[in-house]
Amino acid sequence: MLPAGCGRRLAAALSAALGEGAERRRELEQRTARSRALLRRWDSEEDEQPQAEAGSSSGHENKPSPSELEELELLNRALEKALKVRKSVLKTPLEAQGATVKKSAGEGPAPKNAQEQQVPAVVEDVPESTKVRAVSKNPASLKKPSRYQLRAPYRTEPDVKKLQRRAPARCVSQGPRTAGKSSSKGLACKQGRSHRTTVGDRELSAPAEPQKTPGLSRSALNEQKSFSVEDSAGGKNSVAAGKQLFDAGKKSCGFLEESSKKEDPATERALGRSTSPQTVTLQEKGCQLKLPLPYRKAYSRNSRAWERCRLCQTSADAAAARNRFIERIQTTFCSPMPAFSPAEIEEELKALQDVPSLLSQYVEAEPADHPTLQREYESLLTLEGLQTRVSQYLHKLQLLRAAVESQTRLRPDCAGDVGSCSPGCVPARGRTCDSAGMLAVPLLCYSSSQELRDLFALKLQVSMLHQEIALQKVMMAELLPVLESRLYPEASAAQLYRAIYTQLCEGGKRFPVLVRDELVD
Amino acid sequence: MRTRSAVRGREAAAERDEAAAGAAGAAAAAGPGAAGCCRGPMPGPAATRPARPRHPPPRQSLDFWRLLYTLLKQIHGGKWTESDAIDNQIRFVKSALWYHGYGRPELYRLPSDGSAGSRELLLAFSWLLHRLGLLEQLLAWNRVKTGDETSVCTCEDDLPNSQKGTTETTPEYGLEDRVDVRYLQWLNGRLRFQWRSLHAQHQEHCKLLHKIHLFTSGSHMDQILGHFSVTETDLIRQPENYKQLLQLLESETMQLEAFLEWKQLEPVYWHWMETVLDNMAEEGNVCKSWDAHVEKNGLPKVTSGCPWADSQTGQIDRLSRDLMTLRDRLHELVTHRKAAWCEKVKAREEELQKEGFSATARKIQESVQLKLVHLCAPKKNKTHGPCRLVFRSKHPASKTGFSRSVSREPVSAVSATEVIRELQMREASLERELKQLQEECRQRLDEIAEELDGVICVSP
Repeated sequence: MLPAGCGRRLAAALSAALGEGAERRRELEQRTARSRALLRRWDSEEDEQPQAEAGSSSGHENKPSPSELEELELLNRALEKALKVRKSVLKTPLEAQGATVKKSAGEGPAPKNAQEQQVPAVVEDVPESTKVRAVSKNPASLKKPSRYQLRAPYRTEPDVKKLQRRAPARCVSQGPRTAGKSSSKGLACKQGRSHRTTVGDRELSAPAEPQKTPGLSRSALNEQKSFSVEDSAGGKNSVAAGKQLFDAGKKSCGFLEESSKKEDPATERALGRSTSPQTVTLQEKGCQLKLPLPYRKAYSRNSRAWERCRLCQTSADAAAARNRFIERIQTTFCSPMPAFSPAEIEEELKALQDVPSLLSQYVEAEPADHPTLQREYESLLTLEGLQTRVSQYLHKLQLLRAAVESQTRLRPDCAGDVGSCSPGCVPARGRTCDSAGMLAVPLLCYSSSQELRDLFALKLQVSMLHQEIALQKVMMAELLPVLESRLYPEASAAQLYRAIYTQLCEGGKRFPVLVRDELVD
Repeated sequence: MRTRSAVRGREAAAERDEAAAGAAGAAAAAGPGAAGCCRGPMPGPAATRPARPRHPPPRQSLDFWRLLYTLLKQIHGGKWTESDAIDNQIRFVKSALWYHGYGRPELYRLPSDGSAGSRELLLAFSWLLHRLGLLEQLLAWNRVKTGDETSVCTCEDDLPNSQKGTTETTPEYGLEDRVDVRYLQWLNGRLRFQWRSLHAQHQEHCKLLHKIHLFTSGSHMDQILGHFSVTETDLIRQPENYKQLLQLLESETMQLEAFLEWKQLEPVYWHWMETVLDNMAEEGNVCKSWDAHVEKNGLPKVTSGCPWADSQTGQIDRLSRDLMTLRDRLHELVTHRKAAWCEKVKAREEELQKEGFSATARKIQESVQLKLVHLCAPKKNKTHGPCRLVFRSKHPASKTGFSRSVSREPVSAVSATEVIRELQMREASLERELKQLQEECRQRLDEIAEELDGVICVSP
């Protein structure tokens, strides 16, 4: 248990982050829906059901739902049973049992010196491990997890069929996962788990094939249907579009499910009327489309106006007068003006952000051995050059530091409400030095689908890292003092330590082993 | 002298109104949200707060403060509300001017009820016009977006998260006294899952986007773009939904034309500003020291706890630390290598002289200089803000016939490859930072572990 204030603040921070993420998903979903609509046939898709963002609705709850809690209970009981089984059998049979148990509950071979009483603690790892599998196999998101009935997947009976929840169910039920406790036992299972991931995957995926849930089988059927139709009809566009949609959502069976539902009428209609004259899909007609005339006119007027503005120069007279004015007004500024304005400080720092990584890369790139004397000389010179560079940057940082200090002294008071009145916290949207350059149409050109996807993946990754770093700082500030000041009940010391260790040092992904020091000297 | 300057002041005020109205009209009418701006200099809403001095504050100053407030808020990406009290607005404007490096102490000494100082505000406004490229920025930022927009930089992510974390949002878990750490773990897990879902969603979105771009290649009348965006395609499909877009385009065209008019008037404006400065010089304004305003306001100086300074210093510290470690490492490497090199050279001194090694050495020096300049070249100013995604296939013989189209002047185009490279750099830096933080935690936790009885922690 954590002290109230600290816990609540952290929960608030995490909830805020979740909220932002949900917001992003909603927006993205809207845009994706629009694009999807465009790729379908245009004439008859008037009945677009608003895609209930069930994913986000379940995201609004910040508490595990009662069904998840029930599952947790079942899981606990199952694992208690497993423990008893394990205790009553010796090591070698353990493997066999462990395999069964592991198949259903994902535990590895029991460690020798695990803490005994943390039975419920194992809970957390099971859903985690399934989640790990689920996620590794189905990185695609599920669109509507709540559509699927959650059923307890974690029975200890090797009832493999039940295990084959569709990814959505598995993904959702990772909820109870981290309602986990900290225990070494759980950890050890996890450790074993990670070693046997591949085995486990194979074990589980093998039964997955024959045990298709109705939705999966139907969508597979549809896929087959669409393939066959395509073959026979030589590329019906609507079906092709449907197939493309299938491809796009292939990894997420949830999506398959939903798209199959939507595409079904389309596919069937296509099958029914093999030559429908009204079929208008983007793929067919895309290059012949024309924007409506009013828009075209407005657009061309607009772009011509932009061009004129971009090319329009400041007259020499105006420029001279302006420069005189600026010079004169700057003489009236306070005399010891710091070298950098706050905006410039921020810009410089932003530009320096990646420098250490970059320079380290260059240093790494210099090999240790050189074939020729010339190469060696070159390498030496490069390193020396980099050394000079580093000192230059360090010097600049010192200057910036001094500038920060002097600017802080000059800062006008804004006693009170810092948020509303400090633009430093909301940095100016970046500017390029060149005024005219701002008026050009900014284009971002990509040359292949892969590039586009990489671009977005990287952007997302960067955002995520930003968030992780911020959360890490907040958590460090809150959690470490708790441990250091011993504000917790002694009994849960080890668990708390383990949980905090995981969270802070491993990003919540791996657990340390806590070994009870039982050697009696 | 007084009357003369008063008269001129009034003239100036009248002209100012016109000029400001023109400028404000051109700049501020952009975007639906900026509607409030236009009302700024005109006789507009009455002061929201009764002024303390006996006379009501002159309308021009108040309106001018408001104008600056709305303009600066737009630049800084915030949303403004007209209900913000005037002194908050004034505080914001002063803060923003400080942020951009405006150094006239007279402005910072203006009273916070907005009762005086229209001339100072005028000077500040002109300074901003030049310094920030105010009009161009506003036009660029409020540009009507008809394409698939995505931003190139990662600036938005740099907002300090601490602000969000410490707001008093009550989590729904509320009533219980203490929070279980497992709950936090659960939330964290959900967060990670959310990111994964987002990733998948984005990938799908990209595929759809690419298809639309591919299918509509060759249809756009603007040959530089070459294909339609989602909005434009949707416009064809359902034109009735996009009437507002048309109106926005047209109003933007009008603003651009106003901007061109302003460019014609620009010489007049700057000449006039010079006369304003002349007047003020005549009146003998002395630049007192900045601190004088402290006594006037009676507020204590903010010496500690400036969050901006803290965050900047934090960044500087982190960068310095990284660079110093790098420097030490380089120092070691270089001394080691140099020693080895000197030995080698000594052993083969005669041989090298015969080969004319010194000439080779000089050439190598030059090439290394060039290489370093290239490597560590300061990044050219990146474009910030949204860019329109355009698909340009590398195959020149595409059926769209794109190859023949580049007849117009090249526009500023950023290639995705560059952006990807920069993002990879950023990613690497951020991962370093995260690992360092985690390492710090590990050390501290190790210390704590030693105090826990009877338990040994073995890290994964």
